[in-house]
Amino acid sequence: MVLDKVVNWARIKSPWILHYNSGSCNACDIETLAALTPRYDLERFGVLLKAVPRHADVLVCTGAVTKQSRERLKRIYEQMAEPKFVVAVGTCACSGGVFRGCYCIEGGIDAVIPVSAYIPGCAARPEAIIDGVVKLVSSLKK
Amino acid sequence: MSKRVIIPLGPQHPALKEPESFTLYLEGERVAASNVTLGYNHRGIEKACEERSYIQCLYLLERVCGICSHSHTTAFITAAEEVAQLEIPKRAKYIRTLIGELERVHSHLLWVGVAAHEIGFDTLFMYSWRDREVVMDILAMLTGNRVQYSINTLGGVRRDVSDSQKEEILKAIDILEERTKYYIDVVTTETTMMGRLKNVGGLTHEIATKLNALGPLARASGVDRDIRRDDPYLVYDEIPFNVITNDGCDVFGRVVVRALELIESYRIIRYVVKNMPDGDLTVKAPRKLPANEATVRYEAPRGEDLHYVRGNGTEKPERVKLRAPTMANLASISYMLDGGYLADVPIVIAAIDPCFSCTDRAISIKQIDSGREGTLEWNNLRTYSIEWYKNHGFDAHKIKLSR
Amino acid sequence: MSKEENLVAELTQKFPFLSEKFVIVRARRITVEVDRDNVLDVFKYLYSVHKFDFLSTITGLDSVENFEFIYPVSNFEGILLSVKIFAPKTDPVIKSVLEVYKGAIYYERELEDMFGVKVEGLPAGRHYPLPEDWPEGEYPLRKDWKPKNADQPNKVEE
Repeated sequence: MVLDKVVNWARIKSPWILHYNSGSCNACDIETLAALTPRYDLERFGVLLKAVPRHADVLVCTGAVTKQSRERLKRIYEQMAEPKFVVAVGTCACSGGVFRGCYCIEGGIDAVIPVSAYIPGCAARPEAIIDGVVKLVSSLKK
Repeated sequence: MSKRVIIPLGPQHPALKEPESFTLYLEGERVAASNVTLGYNHRGIEKACEERSYIQCLYLLERVCGICSHSHTTAFITAAEEVAQLEIPKRAKYIRTLIGELERVHSHLLWVGVAAHEIGFDTLFMYSWRDREVVMDILAMLTGNRVQYSINTLGGVRRDVSDSQKEEILKAIDILEERTKYYIDVVTTETTMMGRLKNVGGLTHEIATKLNALGPLARASGVDRDIRRDDPYLVYDEIPFNVITNDGCDVFGRVVVRALELIESYRIIRYVVKNMPDGDLTVKAPRKLPANEATVRYEAPRGEDLHYVRGNGTEKPERVKLRAPTMANLASISYMLDGGYLADVPIVIAAIDPCFSCTDRAISIKQIDSGREGTLEWNNLRTYSIEWYKNHGFDAHKIKLSR
Repeated sequence: MSKEENLVAELTQKFPFLSEKFVIVRARRITVEVDRDNVLDVFKYLYSVHKFDFLSTITGLDSVENFEFIYPVSNFEGILLSVKIFAPKTDPVIKSVLEVYKGAIYYERELEDMFGVKVEGLPAGRHYPLPEDWPEGEYPLRKDWKPKNADQPNKVEE
């Protein structure tokens, strides 16, 4: 349908992302932020950092999921409008990483919500984050 | 009679019962009282250490905090080396010091950007993080990674520093020093910056001492405490440097302290690079550590990081205890927020330089009289704060940067 | 006599029950074992007279029959004095040091959460650091406590 195509085109041209830390050590968070700064400049792909789940297309998550942050992560995901996508940034977000097996850790992001793209690394480099987001966006074309 | 408003700055959905980090009780535009609660990022690391060998603990502890990972691993491994009564080579100590100070530089520059972002000065955020890439490149050159450097091992360090790398470091420091001096100039002369930051988030010397505040937060209230000088570790007993204090007792003082600490770090880095002795990188270390204990204090970018290790004759530690600096500063938060404007909350909290994971940006505000409860998410509070100050004549967006 | 030796001598004179309880480990590191009933008096004296006004943390340990608690306090000279107290597991109660060290609240909450010790005088409040819905009676840092997901892959193998 025409409306779908327009919405899809808009999403491909400029995915709006919401960043959420579900229990990380912050290394992946600062690399995600670094991806928005001049040297890496994620904004040239039209990617904008949003503050409210309702406005975001892509949820960029870092960190293994702690017991305390599990419900919050779920709620944020539920508040996003369809179609929505989740990117797990960093090894901890992919699988729990080095914290797997610790009490208070549920596991990676996919222990709680469905993940569309996994970007491993400890910490994931800004180039890898951009690569992952762009790959996700390109796959939307299909 | 002015109405009291309690606003939860918190999770995305108002009806949610999730733990908030901060609860603010408002009276008009001012914070009457506040409450701090935490625990979001508790991962069970100390328990996990008891199931891992010392080298595996090193890997785990590096990920306590990605911004000051070297502080944690160096403090831990130094404690383990003290338990084992190992004396590591001088060159290894110099290399650890070098990486530690480079980490302080990256952390303070990161903070400058974050603080600028909180007051709407996004130009400075972009500029300082662009400059920060200079030190990130140096760290990647020396250690192979931009964060999580993994330079330490039990008995010394894993990588050497070559002469050509030393040249690169000195060149980078020259660039950074020039830029830092420019930022100091901007921040200390721009009336908008001073209007935003002076007399905000007051913490008296007396209260800072009573509540055991530490790091740049305490030093900005005139508390002359720096582990590098008071309880020297690595090679700080040989290096000439100044401990920076400021009597402002406000956010402005905290900015000045961190900026001048950057200059001191550049001096220390130059000294370390020029005076690095030749020698081995490691000494042979045992796998099993004796039944002994040690406490190490390390001046991380945020303040004193304390690590306690007890061995029990096996390959795994009996107990590992770590207390990261931000935790000790939490008791001071309420004191700094109470009596101030709601619009000051973002920068006051940012000026403690908390690890993002510690505060996790969940704040709760409640309206006492009307019984109204709502949630205000951090980004909305930041927007409110920037608008409020604009209406009072301070617009950080308007500040121009020339380079 | 070194600074450390001077300090030990003065404290032993003031509190004879501390005689033979001090160990000077190295420069700027002293440990002392104190009975849990006397420890507040010792802290008050250390704080007011010797300016040991900085309590860095409180380390709890599970030492088989007892719980051990280490309070590292320091002064401006950089001396770290680790004050150790014990509480038997059959009577796991210690006194709060909040009246001397006002910043100690989170450290004491952590002891209650992680070891199940009762800190007398600690005001009621939320858990720290464990989540509010953490089950009663589960104290992670006790040696006999194992996490439920201990058999997940990637756990350290022997």
